[in-house]
Amino acid sequence: MSAVAPEPLFVAQQKIYPREINGRFNRLRVAVIAVLFGVFYVIPWLHWDGHQAILFDLPARRFNLFGLLFFPQDFFFLSWLLLIAALSLFFFTAIGGRLWCGFACPQTVWTQAFIWMERLTEGNRSQQIKLDKAPWTLQKIFKKSAKQFLWITFSAYTGFTFVAFFTPATRLISELTTLSLGGWETFWIVFYGFATYGNAGYLREQVCKYMCPYARFQSAMFDRHTLIITYDTQRGEPRGSRGRGPKKSELGDCVDCTLCVQVCPTGIDIRKGLQYECIACTACVDACDSIMDKMEYPRGLIRYSTQAALEGKPNRIVRPRTIVYATLLLVLIAGFGYAVTHRNLVDLDVLRDRNSLYRRLNDGSIENVYSLRLINKDFKTHDFKLRVNNLADAVLETDGSFNAVTGGEVRTVTVRVRVPPGAAAGNKTFEIAVEEPTTAIAYRATTRFIVPSGQ
Amino acid sequence: MVSKDATTPWSRMKRDVGVIVWSSFLAASLASLIFFAYLDPQLLAHDDDPPFWLADRMSGYASGFFFFWLIAAVSGTLVAYLLDTLSEQARNDSEREQAEKKR
Repeated sequence: MSAVAPEPLFVAQQKIYPREINGRFNRLRVAVIAVLFGVFYVIPWLHWDGHQAILFDLPARRFNLFGLLFFPQDFFFLSWLLLIAALSLFFFTAIGGRLWCGFACPQTVWTQAFIWMERLTEGNRSQQIKLDKAPWTLQKIFKKSAKQFLWITFSAYTGFTFVAFFTPATRLISELTTLSLGGWETFWIVFYGFATYGNAGYLREQVCKYMCPYARFQSAMFDRHTLIITYDTQRGEPRGSRGRGPKKSELGDCVDCTLCVQVCPTGIDIRKGLQYECIACTACVDACDSIMDKMEYPRGLIRYSTQAALEGKPNRIVRPRTIVYATLLLVLIAGFGYAVTHRNLVDLDVLRDRNSLYRRLNDGSIENVYSLRLINKDFKTHDFKLRVNNLADAVLETDGSFNAVTGGEVRTVTVRVRVPPGAAAGNKTFEIAVEEPTTAIAYRATTRFIVPSGQ
Repeated sequence: MVSKDATTPWSRMKRDVGVIVWSSFLAASLASLIFFAYLDPQLLAHDDDPPFWLADRMSGYASGFFFFWLIAAVSGTLVAYLLDTLSEQARNDSEREQAEKKR
């Protein structure tokens, strides 16, 4: 038997029309968004030493990060970086609450941009509500088309920029202008553009409410000293409307203007207390401050505060939780910095010839054949010398060289290693080394040399 | 005035679809990241005549990603279905169990 309560399958979501509000926190958000957009949209066009500064070149399987070149084998660095990112999120959540949600999350940032475009074409909140209720006139069609044009253009450009992180931007733009974009490139531009359009244009706060895992577990990083958006109930209640001038004694400071509700992008009433839908965007703080200014009451009826402060206790930023997060974070960042600056710029794979273990030459010397695969992980060209260590009287013969290996090049060379007659039989472990004498770049690979018995 | 009460909550179907699509997308992204960090799709297509979905690296990445997405979505759909159709009895039992643990 099913316990599913009868429920209509498709109910159109009632749209939230957040009201525009200006104030210090809004100015801060606009500044942060400008910086983040700048970073996102400009990075693919930045160059470093003649190559795209940040490029995760998937078709070529190599990744540029400013002066550093990485390969899929360096996956370890990427996972380390992701770990640092996750821990930073924990750290900043413990101190500042949902700073991420209100200011830095792509969902918030792009939604804001889409709301701006909506206001530009359809007007302010009440004009938008009126327009949506109005019958379809030429003017309405024009306004809606203008909005869609802005949204779609911006989404397409966002998709293009996203793909430019994975395919060289200059190539992408020349392919676009000559209408010769590759099939997958076109597909991913449309895919990512559509995701932007849907998420920022229509889903908006519903992503935070229904789909975001961070919204559910962020409270685990919270404690009594974490910043939250609060309504000061003691000061505000009992709420009630009133004229300007001396306050009636029985009323609190809240004039019940509902502006805090109208500006809320998730449509909640902060006066009901902390709710998990609250993304700490501070729009209600700005809204309430503007009313308090008009009423000539002190600001901060709705404000950033902490549970401890509300209870009249001192606020502590340094506490066991933040110390643990900060220490872990510092260790991880320091370790990452060390590992990246000390990583080997050359990699060598040694593969024994699979067809024959050894070969006995006419003069009685023994030969083993190896296939050497060298990766130059630097952007510069290097000349590498080959050497054999720990194998007495060994002679090297190659069918190529590791001279002039260009940046990022992978080169395979076959090497025949020979020992003179009379070597003791057995399995000898020895080293094949590549090194560039001028720089200290070197790699030593260990492998085996087989001398048959019965000489 | 728009208040929380005035907004219609998502239906169960819409919520399930949203959560499944999104969470399986995240899982598929992670799976592709790890899988293709160690495996070059070109090595999988060592035939002279690879199938179209392995024709080149970009096709290989895309097929892998959508395959992972599909598998994760199947798993998510099963999870949502099993949880949504849990009998009243079983649901009450596990909720009582949790309430007792808290006490």
